[in-house]
Amino acid sequence: MSDLSLHLGEGAIRIEFDEGLYPKDAIYGAAYVFIDRCWVHLDRVADRRIQVTLKAKKAGADTQAYAGEFQNELLGQAWRLRIVEENRKLVEAITARALGGAAGPPGLDELLSMDIGEETAFEDPLGIAMSWEEKYKKKGKAEGAKAEGEGASEGASEEEKAS
Amino acid sequence: MIELRFHEELYDGFAIDEAVKTYAAYATAELSRDGGAYVVKVTAKPEATQQGIEERVLSAELANYALGLSIERARETRAGETAREGGAA
Repeated sequence: MSDLSLHLGEGAIRIEFDEGLYPKDAIYGAAYVFIDRCWVHLDRVADRRIQVTLKAKKAGADTQAYAGEFQNELLGQAWRLRIVEENRKLVEAITARALGGAAGPPGLDELLSMDIGEETAFEDPLGIAMSWEEKYKKKGKAEGAKAEGEGASEGASEEEKAS
Repeated sequence: MIELRFHEELYDGFAIDEAVKTYAAYATAELSRDGGAYVVKVTAKPEATQQGIEERVLSAELANYALGLSIERARETRAGETAREGGAA
């Protein structure tokens, strides 16, 4: 038991909390919020029981009201901690995906470390190895061009015969 | 002289050292450990009392400072642990 609470003098308020209901981190969070307005002291009075001693710094301030505010703040902190724990996996997954996307295309080292065997070396799922003509040439136009070429060669052979 | 006792599970030893150093201009402090608590005996310096600073207020401010630093250090430690867990997963 600390002597500080005795030295805080009259008007200091002591509140005890069960760590099963309010985790230590939540008590820390609430205490941190009140450090500028109150003198705050924490003590362990029993197993899993933390005692908070509060005294307003300003003379004439209502320490009782601060104690009430402290309990509300503590409830908020405990709830926030619970939400953080519940959503932790989700936040981690979103962050990992965001970082993965921001990393951009693989670097030379990553490409070199890839396992490329004979079976996978010539796979071309995106059609990158295909030439532009093969990929984008219109079928109808191509056939027309072929026919034009054939017609021209026939004309030339007739001219050769006449001469 | 005012004796402050800080429970080892709730206060960080380094934070208490830092608080004592911060208030060294106003008070002398004697540090020890006893029964799971850090014990700090604070005595206000004459210069401080001449300026109208009460020993009681000085001790309370030192304790507040130690608590604030303890909380910050606990958060940093927790954040580090979480990052390591995330990295391991």
